[in-house]
Amino acid sequence: MTVRSVEVELGVGAALPRARRRGFFERHQSRIRALGSIVVVFALWELIGRFVITNRLFFVPLSSVFASAGDLWARGELQLHVRTSFLEFALGFGAAALAGIALGAAMAVRRALRDYLDPWVAFLYATPTVALAPLFILWFKLGIESKVAVILLVSIFPILLNTLTGIEGTDRHLIEAARSFGARPMQIFAKVMLPSALPVIVTGLRLGLARGLVGVVVAELFGAKAGLGYLILYSAQTFDMAALFAGVLILALAGVVSSEALKALERRLAPWRFVEVER
Amino acid sequence: MTAKLELRGVSKWFETRSGDVVEALRGVTFDVHAGEFVSVVGASGCGKTTLLRLVDGLLAPSRGEVLLDGRPIAGPGLDRALVFQLDALFPWRTVLDNVLFGLEVQGRLGEEARRAAGELLRFVGLGGFERAYPHELSGGMRQRTNLARALAVDPEVLLMDEPFASLDAQTREIMQAELLRIWNARRKTVLFITHQIDEAIYLSDRVVVLTRRPGQVGDVLAVDLPRPRRLDVKRTPAFGALVDRVWKRIETEVRESVGVPA
Ligand SMILES: Nc1ncnc2c1ncn2[C@@H]1O[C@H](COP(=O)(O)OP(=O)(O)OP(=O)(O)O)[C@@H](O)[C@H]1O
Ligand SMILES: [Mg+2]
Repeated sequence: MTVRSVEVELGVGAALPRARRRGFFERHQSRIRALGSIVVVFALWELIGRFVITNRLFFVPLSSVFASAGDLWARGELQLHVRTSFLEFALGFGAAALAGIALGAAMAVRRALRDYLDPWVAFLYATPTVALAPLFILWFKLGIESKVAVILLVSIFPILLNTLTGIEGTDRHLIEAARSFGARPMQIFAKVMLPSALPVIVTGLRLGLARGLVGVVVAELFGAKAGLGYLILYSAQTFDMAALFAGVLILALAGVVSSEALKALERRLAPWRFVEVER
Repeated sequence: MTAKLELRGVSKWFETRSGDVVEALRGVTFDVHAGEFVSVVGASGCGKTTLLRLVDGLLAPSRGEVLLDGRPIAGPGLDRALVFQLDALFPWRTVLDNVLFGLEVQGRLGEEARRAAGELLRFVGLGGFERAYPHELSGGMRQRTNLARALAVDPEVLLMDEPFASLDAQTREIMQAELLRIWNARRKTVLFITHQIDEAIYLSDRVVVLTRRPGQVGDVLAVDLPRPRRLDVKRTPAFGALVDRVWKRIETEVRESVGVPA
């Protein structure tokens, strides 16, 4: 087929002036503000710890927290706690991600499965599942299994539910377009439903991740020999505020970093949802 | 001439969620010959899109039958492609990958297919936008991508639901002429839906006029203007007479459907 181009009429290909390059501060405005805010609060923390609340049983300056973390590191304890918690979290959250996505997807495409599971999902999601932690300790003893089970249970529901709603929310016009081209059900699932739901699934992972981190601490509060939750509990019992804050800060940092990474992934997966708006 | 496509007493009704029944089409009978270009015009809501979805096999008729090459249509097939009224592009795919979608699910993706898709995109004026995403395009550009996606599978029967509706007048005229060229070069059968009477007449061998809902065939008129048609055929008296005839036939319908009496 030879086709005549209509580019000329449409003016495609005309040279455009380069967009004005925004300055460094303009481009990174939000980040600079966030960073400034963190610096100010940390400085306040240090000052309050030094001059306002001087009772070390209640509060410590930020510098003492860092010093304590350094100490723990030198003794090899911090590494152990981080490694233990990380392993529990990786196993629990990993299992939650796999099972949540698989179950959510299966429920979205199989009506009967959904009908059977719906009441249990609603029931377990509404239950404050951390309340089951002591029960899991009884069932699985004090080993890693009980922690993995707690983390799995608290983080699976947002993942499952987001997968379910994401797939169900697939634009029916897109499904019809795929059908019109002769796509088979598996192709519609893989090429239309899944990509359409992916950003929503990633949001579910982000929510599950936050709950999973809480799960780590709670699981370790009941019978653990190591881990960041254990460090926090133990430090509280021995009135070691600096070590306690060290544990909390590391958990917070892990939460922020992983959730920001997933947010970035959401943007990459669905750029059309984040069309830039002037503010 | 043999009938490529036959509609025999086709009725379609929908049950709405509230339990009401909406009758979209009633006893529609007409045929489209192989290689023929047939347009369907009618007031908004008279069932034109429903008609195309029936022919594409996305819907089954409530009564009557739709035949392709003499056999009832059982579902969507490789021999037909539908250009959707609302451009149903996949937002996570680039323009090129959207155009290749049909070939991909049909397992016909190859170097040749990619090259042809690139050429199609240039034809619809989207050369250079292969890697753009739908949200980066204008409404008219999206609609042209939508058109290229259907042309890419090279179907025998092209079903087009107001494909040029969101284009400006000039682009629309160029696209009309190009569509006629493709149709003529590849001997495709086209069932074309439009709101615009002059578009229907300029493009078609025959024009089917549907009444307002439930859509019934109100008139079928043959357009005996010689081909190939140049754009200035639109300013001839013969063309004007045909436009008048169709307009008279649907004027009352349109007036009634929007509640403005003559
Ligand atoms: N899936 C559906 N469920 C219920 N009613 C429907 C459905 N699809 C179409 N209809 C109804 O059928 C009638 C015809 O719709 P259709 O989309 O075919 O009209 P149309 O002629 O294409 O209109 P337009 O020119 O505005 O695109 C309308 O009254 C519409 O509300
Ligand atoms: Mg329509």
